[in-house]
Amino acid sequence: MRIIERKRVILFSTLLLFAIAGRAEEWQVPADKEKRTSPYLFDEQMRKKGEDIFKRSCASCHGMPGQGNNIRSLVPIPPDLAEKKVQQQSDGAIFYKITVGRGAMPSFKNSLTEQERWQVVAFLRSFNKDYVQPPLARLVDSAKLRSVKVIPTFDTVQHKVVVLIKAFQKTDTLPLSEAEVSLFVQRYFGNLPIDSVRTTSQNGLVTFNFPTNLPGDSVGNVQLIVKVNHEMFGELEKTYTAKLGVPTIKPPLTEKNAMWNVGKKAPRWLIISYLLVVGTIWFFLIRIILSIRKIKQTGKNPKL
Amino acid sequence: MGNIRTGLKNASRRKFLQQLALWGGGSVLAGGAIASALHYEHKKKGVPHIKEIAEHTHQLKVNKEALSELQRRGREGIPGKRWIWVIDLAKCKNAQRCMSACQQAHHLRPEQSHMNVLVMQASEHTPAYYMPKPCQHCDNPPCVSVCPVDATFKRQDGVVLIDNQRCIGCRFCIAACPYNARMFNWIEPLYAKEDANMEYNVELNLPQRKGTITKCLMSADRLREGKLPYCVSACPNGVYWFGDENEDVVTNGTTHETMRLSELLEKNGAYQLMPELGTKPRVYYLPPKGRSVPVKEEDKEKAIEYVHHFES
Repeated sequence: MRIIERKRVILFSTLLLFAIAGRAEEWQVPADKEKRTSPYLFDEQMRKKGEDIFKRSCASCHGMPGQGNNIRSLVPIPPDLAEKKVQQQSDGAIFYKITVGRGAMPSFKNSLTEQERWQVVAFLRSFNKDYVQPPLARLVDSAKLRSVKVIPTFDTVQHKVVVLIKAFQKTDTLPLSEAEVSLFVQRYFGNLPIDSVRTTSQNGLVTFNFPTNLPGDSVGNVQLIVKVNHEMFGELEKTYTAKLGVPTIKPPLTEKNAMWNVGKKAPRWLIISYLLVVGTIWFFLIRIILSIRKIKQTGKNPKL
Repeated sequence: MGNIRTGLKNASRRKFLQQLALWGGGSVLAGGAIASALHYEHKKKGVPHIKEIAEHTHQLKVNKEALSELQRRGREGIPGKRWIWVIDLAKCKNAQRCMSACQQAHHLRPEQSHMNVLVMQASEHTPAYYMPKPCQHCDNPPCVSVCPVDATFKRQDGVVLIDNQRCIGCRFCIAACPYNARMFNWIEPLYAKEDANMEYNVELNLPQRKGTITKCLMSADRLREGKLPYCVSACPNGVYWFGDENEDVVTNGTTHETMRLSELLEKNGAYQLMPELGTKPRVYYLPPKGRSVPVKEEDKEKAIEYVHHFES
């Protein structure tokens, strides 16, 4: 009786696990992203570069494809990427999943460039014998890209950044609509995104709210990066300097007098008490010597 | 009478000569001592802390200027920076990539690591969790206060380093550190032979030296190049955030996502290790809330064993 009950429990929990696992697998990819194809040919060089990236960024959870050394203790289980389930998906879908991530799978949007992400796809495809690369997506015409003008205005009082995007369309340079614009502040290890990604309106304008308390340099200057992405005109990036930050001058951490600091910067009480002790000792030593001398002199004087 | 007078006269001349010799000799000696001390100090300032090491059969020739430069800049640090570290305990799955990256970078033995992933449990009914623990790079470092030879020091950018060319192996700092962040090279380092000809880099603490301390260096050599520390970039789970407090920004080592430091600390209820000691650590922890991977059974057993040990 008990055994049957236990079996039931096991069966039930197994089913539950499958259900959870099944739910976890439903990872919807937007239709337009799914249809995307690589603008680069998946050749040996691409594959090799992809392998390097894969070993560094993916293999710790997924294991090497085809070897089944993925970490099974994780929930959901990171699949072995040579599996049929994975390889059935389109290039665009795999690229999308690498880009955005989900749950325990991190997003590689900021750590890998588009080309690097395609290199990873190229590496993964090398484990599928039946794979034939779909027609390459065309790279954007460089003349078109060159015609894009970025005109930012910095409102240092209201803490707003307004960016106007213009591009050569048909006959003239006109405001560009439907362009994705993002704003970043350059920092030592990476770029800090400001506000969210905005899409230009009919008059080619986007407005970003800039934080009022972001530290700048000694006069409040910050380095800004404006990234523009348009379906027809491609991607471009521009750098500007603006006085939008809070002026920040922080002294070095070794400035203060402290126990742990160098001899010159020892705590004042320590220097003073040390000198006092040394001074007192010398004072008494000298006094003793002088007294002895006095005794000797007094002893020699026959008058006394 | 006359005799007495001459006697007295003679006596005073003798006394005068005696005193002259005493004072003269004394001042020559004192002057010489001061001069040689000044000379020594001057020499020391010009070429700081250099040793030419003769090892076994081969004489090691070191490039004096380059070595002094490495040690000089290693002591100064990077102006205008205050490194800050945030460790998100909710993300740690005990992959231990940080530890292996650290061992590789600093040529450590398998049992040594400047970074340790510990299994923690506060009391019997609280959960166990994994906690990576590097040196806390305190702003009030007790280890530096106790060093008698100025071998370990704090830089203007906040990093606490060790100069193993100055270290005498007294291990006062090990005793002083409340975070157990320091270890001692009791035996020859792993790559003692291979690294013998290497120029000493204080920011990497290579070559390691027997009889000296080794500790977490916040990968000071990488920070100089604008790269994240070895352990931080090796983490596959997004545990580490690293950045500059002056910029109020930290970057994740895995995803390279960058966000405001103040916001991250505020939103996640950050805390520090043993702040009551007044050490002012430069490392913050985010509590292990909402973990996606449970602690392994064997690790749980280990943790509860410690809890019982300390309760009894």
